[in-house]
Amino acid sequence: MSSLRVAVDVGGTFTDVLVLDEETTATSVAKVPSTPADPMRAILDGVAAAGVDLHQVKLFSHGTTIATNALITRRFPPAAMVTTKGFRDVIEIRRGTRDDLWDAYKDVAPPYIRRRDRLEVSERVDYDGDVIEPLDEEEARAVAKRLGRRGVQTIAVCFINSYANSANERRMKEILAEEIPGIDVSTSSDVLPEIFEHERFSTTVANAVLTPLVSGYVDRLGKALARDGYRGDLLLLHSGGGVMTPATVRRFSVRLAGSGIAAGAIACRHVAMLCGHRNAIGLDMGGTSTDISLVHDGEMRVTKEWFVEYGYPIIFPSIEILTIGAGGGSLAWIDEAGSLRNGPQSAGADPGPACYRTGGDSPTNTDANVTLGRLGTELLDGKMTLDRQSAVEVVRRDVAVPLGLETDEAAQAVLKVANANMADAVRLVSIRRGYDPREFALVAFGGAGPLHGADLARELSIPTVIVPPNPGITSALGCLLVDVRHDLETMYLRRVENARLDEIDAEFRALEGEARERMASEGVAEEDTSLQRRISMRYLGQWRSLAVEVADDLGSLDEAVERFHEQHEREFTYSRHDAPVEIYQLQVEAIGVTRKPNLAREEPRWHRPVAYDSREVVFDDGPVATGLYRREELHAGAEIIGPAIIEQLDSTTVVPPGVKAEVDEHLLIIMSIPTEETR
Amino acid sequence: MSQPTIERDERLDPVTFEVLKNAFTTSVDLMAEQILRTCHSFVIYARDFSSALCDRDGNTIMQGSQDIAVHVGTLHYKAQAVIAQFGEDIHEGDVFLINDPYLGGTHFNDVSVIRPIFTGGEIIAYSQSNGHWADMGGTVPGSFDVNAKEHFGEGIRIPPTRVFDRGRYLRDVARMILSNTRAPDSTEGDLQAQAEATRVCEREIHRLVGKYGKDIVLTAFEAVQDYVERLTRHRITQLPNGTWETEDHIDFDPNEGEGLVPIKIKLTIHDDHLHYDLSGSHPAVGTFLNSCFGASTSGVMAGTKTFFPDIPLNSGFYRAIEVDLGELGTVVNAPWPVAVTGYCSGPYEKIMNGIFELWSRIMPERAMAASFNLEYLLVGGRDARVADNPYFMWYDWMVGGWGARNGKDGSNCSSPVFGVGLAVQPLEGQERLAPVVTTGHHIVTDSAGPGRFRGGVGVEKGGRLTQARSAVMSYCCDRARAVTWGIDGGLPSIPHGAWLNPGTSDERFLGAVFSNVPVKEGDVFTRPSAGGGGLGDPLEREPRAVCEDVADGYVSLERARRDYGVVLRVVDADMDEYEVDQAATHAERERIGAERRGWLEEEPEGVAARYRSGELDVHDLVRQYGVIVEWGDGTLLPRTTAKFREMLARRAARHWH
Repeated sequence: MSSLRVAVDVGGTFTDVLVLDEETTATSVAKVPSTPADPMRAILDGVAAAGVDLHQVKLFSHGTTIATNALITRRFPPAAMVTTKGFRDVIEIRRGTRDDLWDAYKDVAPPYIRRRDRLEVSERVDYDGDVIEPLDEEEARAVAKRLGRRGVQTIAVCFINSYANSANERRMKEILAEEIPGIDVSTSSDVLPEIFEHERFSTTVANAVLTPLVSGYVDRLGKALARDGYRGDLLLLHSGGGVMTPATVRRFSVRLAGSGIAAGAIACRHVAMLCGHRNAIGLDMGGTSTDISLVHDGEMRVTKEWFVEYGYPIIFPSIEILTIGAGGGSLAWIDEAGSLRNGPQSAGADPGPACYRTGGDSPTNTDANVTLGRLGTELLDGKMTLDRQSAVEVVRRDVAVPLGLETDEAAQAVLKVANANMADAVRLVSIRRGYDPREFALVAFGGAGPLHGADLARELSIPTVIVPPNPGITSALGCLLVDVRHDLETMYLRRVENARLDEIDAEFRALEGEARERMASEGVAEEDTSLQRRISMRYLGQWRSLAVEVADDLGSLDEAVERFHEQHEREFTYSRHDAPVEIYQLQVEAIGVTRKPNLAREEPRWHRPVAYDSREVVFDDGPVATGLYRREELHAGAEIIGPAIIEQLDSTTVVPPGVKAEVDEHLLIIMSIPTEETR
Repeated sequence: MSQPTIERDERLDPVTFEVLKNAFTTSVDLMAEQILRTCHSFVIYARDFSSALCDRDGNTIMQGSQDIAVHVGTLHYKAQAVIAQFGEDIHEGDVFLINDPYLGGTHFNDVSVIRPIFTGGEIIAYSQSNGHWADMGGTVPGSFDVNAKEHFGEGIRIPPTRVFDRGRYLRDVARMILSNTRAPDSTEGDLQAQAEATRVCEREIHRLVGKYGKDIVLTAFEAVQDYVERLTRHRITQLPNGTWETEDHIDFDPNEGEGLVPIKIKLTIHDDHLHYDLSGSHPAVGTFLNSCFGASTSGVMAGTKTFFPDIPLNSGFYRAIEVDLGELGTVVNAPWPVAVTGYCSGPYEKIMNGIFELWSRIMPERAMAASFNLEYLLVGGRDARVADNPYFMWYDWMVGGWGARNGKDGSNCSSPVFGVGLAVQPLEGQERLAPVVTTGHHIVTDSAGPGRFRGGVGVEKGGRLTQARSAVMSYCCDRARAVTWGIDGGLPSIPHGAWLNPGTSDERFLGAVFSNVPVKEGDVFTRPSAGGGGLGDPLEREPRAVCEDVADGYVSLERARRDYGVVLRVVDADMDEYEVDQAATHAERERIGAERRGWLEEEPEGVAARYRSGELDVHDLVRQYGVIVEWGDGTLLPRTTAKFREMLARRAARHWH
């Protein structure tokens, strides 16, 4: 009966819907324009466009940019902060650094809560958790009354050293709740019980300002879906690459920031694993930017250092993604000293590349692709026409003439610089972590990823490029595949030799108890819950820590310490076996496994498909007559030797000369890139 | 976007050039990544480091895109010092150390680790990682001895020294250096982290050589420098020729008693190059607030670069800028063995801010008044919370306000111009490591210099000592007297300086430079950072903006009236609601406009007496009367006051209607 799984990914421009029938493994997709003023409308439109009856839906998962956008546009309800006397400016002082080191006219954004709405109370806890000044309840009550009068809807309670003792914060929360019935309160010891005041406060403040908005949105959407017949829980994708239910969203709304971006990385992992690659680099290239993600040995890279706006860290584990300002719309330009540059300025959708003829008059990567014939002049099944003449003209005028090149050479130069910039970004993501890109597959998606994938792979000596079936809606696929996931942690600062195993075990048990409770409240069965303990460690005196997995029954810490040395060696190219090691945090990752859908599968039958047409496309050695194929006509087992162009509704795949492209059983295109040695 | 008169490098095709240029940037940024993740020193972790790829002659090909400003323009000197010292005796796998300010370094704490990069038995480049080690030994923890007159005793000086010999770690040499520091083990961690970082860069360069060939890469090393030089000269050509001069000050020279110490800067633009002349600056002072040629050159380069934020940094930039530091022996051109460790709070800040002022006239669209002064406070002693009373260092620096800008207020609470990547430390971390409870870390009301656009606000941070034994406090700052100034009619902010036991009968003002002041359990210390100076006449500031500042507590009701002539009515203090009393504001502004020039001529001793009696406060003295006193006891500083008033006349009063 109810055998449908629906995933909705709301992006800036489009809302993508992916529907999977678990019985038949049939998928269908819909792409509708996003409705930023009320994202819910596009979701319901998209569900309708996909022809889904919500009564038949078993699981509905959703990736949303609503939290990220709210932080960027700062559309918050009235919010306030209550903090320890003397410290209301911690979130304005930040760490003091500026994003742009040299431009004195570029400012870091102001804090999410204005100074006048940050009130102080007398209280103080020391580093060890001792209360050296009790909470002044009279003052606390006066503050609560003032905030009540101001009509604030949500409050962040952020006290110094509350990670070591949360009593004063909890009492403050009680008083606020008594004085302002129904108020949303986020305490820093609940949101993120971790040392370092700015990072903890910043995360808590972001959580507080988002709570009313995000939980309101989730409630409304949940109700709308229920009204139309959906009986399950709405599952929301969070930055850590798992989902959570509306109940958890209310407590940890900041985890929804970064939701949308994580989806692409998850899909990249899935697609790579489908065809047996446990190491993959995701290249999600759109109109103005490219998101690069990395999967190593089947695991996504997770970071705790990220932000939506510079200066305001959100210290929840987040899938690590590097976003660079390189996309189809990035401008190619020549600077005053004669160097050919690419981006970061972009023509975006408005005025757009010159070939759109929507006002753009500067060469972009898209124009270079059109000039070379790599991109055709009809997109989206003819709903959009590109003007090749305009593209050629701007490339000639602004690149070829100043550099004294032929127009084709100029267009190739534009793409080479763009690809080299992206390759540098991939190197930053991989090499700096001790990974060699040659051991990875490149998963190319987003509208423009498959256009550049093969060239980029060659630049990086990556042997394999994978193009998913619907490159433009890959993020929605990511939403469909996720498990419920929570990350819990507690500080445990102690040198390894002073650590007590019974203490550590008790701390882990407490975290696991909490994790099971959360899972149970989200309806995850005990047998579907898996818990992983981790200890994060560092060399005494070091500032960053590394987490290593540990077993539940720790006989000693020796093995964990050994693993720490090893991991340090791999990530940072050295280890110090003779240096003292310090434990920093104990962490538990809780995964509530949801059943993975079976995606469509075709029995592969080797064949050489026939091109429906051909056109001249310029590659490294000049123009070549190149076969054109329609993606939807390519079946499992198809093999094409480049040059070839594979077109589909939302993307174009370029198969350069000598590259073999095969369609596998999951209808993925897999390109084998000749490396330096084999060419 | 193309320019009609483009010149480009013909030696490389445009793609290869652009690709290699960006790859060089990546290679140094990878070094920064590596350092940030593996360093031990909290100072390095706070981004007090830099990385460079230098060519085989030591010239800088590329410097890290997130590097601290204060190292700009010094890394090639250090590489060249290594080359000069070792010449032919440099081998694959060697690594060298150098921190010598008399050979072009900055101060002892900035230690460079330099590795030659070989291809086919030949040196093609050097990779360099420069980081601030937390302690270099010497008489004062952190190696900042304010009273040092010569470098002996400040810490360990490292001339070019080999520390890896063909890949073999010379442990004896390393221990010889590290044993002179207070934390040899973690400092060794930094040395190794830096050495590894230079290897990361080496690996990248080897990859590029493998892909493009040695000749192309060598050509690109030159072409990238030529490119930056061409770009810089092209920009300069578009500016008018001319000469601009200014003067900024260090508070005093103990050799001469009270009186501001001038640093003179003259800039000449001639066609496609810049010429800076710092001659005529005061002789080296009797504290450690002096700088050698490397650091002073860095101040000039970094100050200039602020007005060309998008130009990449390498020796090509330095080639378009000529720097004449004037005669040897001045505060900006100190010879061996003059103590220079405090250069960063002394001449460096003055050179940068002076250059900001000059360029504010040349590029008014990027104008900026003076910013707060870099400051380091250090409390060191024994931690009696722990059994064996280990050594502790509470080593702290703060953000402050930046100068007001053309069309907008200055940045609030920002890292110093000396290095805007320099991150302040988390007090929760500090409280674990030292017996000091932080008493507050907050914005200081009225710290911003008033102006039509006000400066950014400064902050205050202090602490109370708990179980500390044998503790001493030192402070490295400046501008307790040469108060952070405004331009174009804007007013100064507030003096720097540290206070002991404020508000008690034991209250003492310790000034902005001191070292080894004994402190004990129960003592409370604090210090503000200045805000930025104002830009434009404060009486022309939009009253609404003043009202908003009062609601946020950036400006007090009282100072809104005194500094801006804006009179506000309190609508509801509980709700932070205020409104402008238009009529009263108009009248107040008329009155101030008529009287303010007279205030600047009032007899200084009388003004000082009114300060001592509590009738006037520090803001009144600095902003309205231009009178500088010993802030603790109110003793008038007559020579300082005369110079300060001269400065106010030039930067402020002259621009008022």
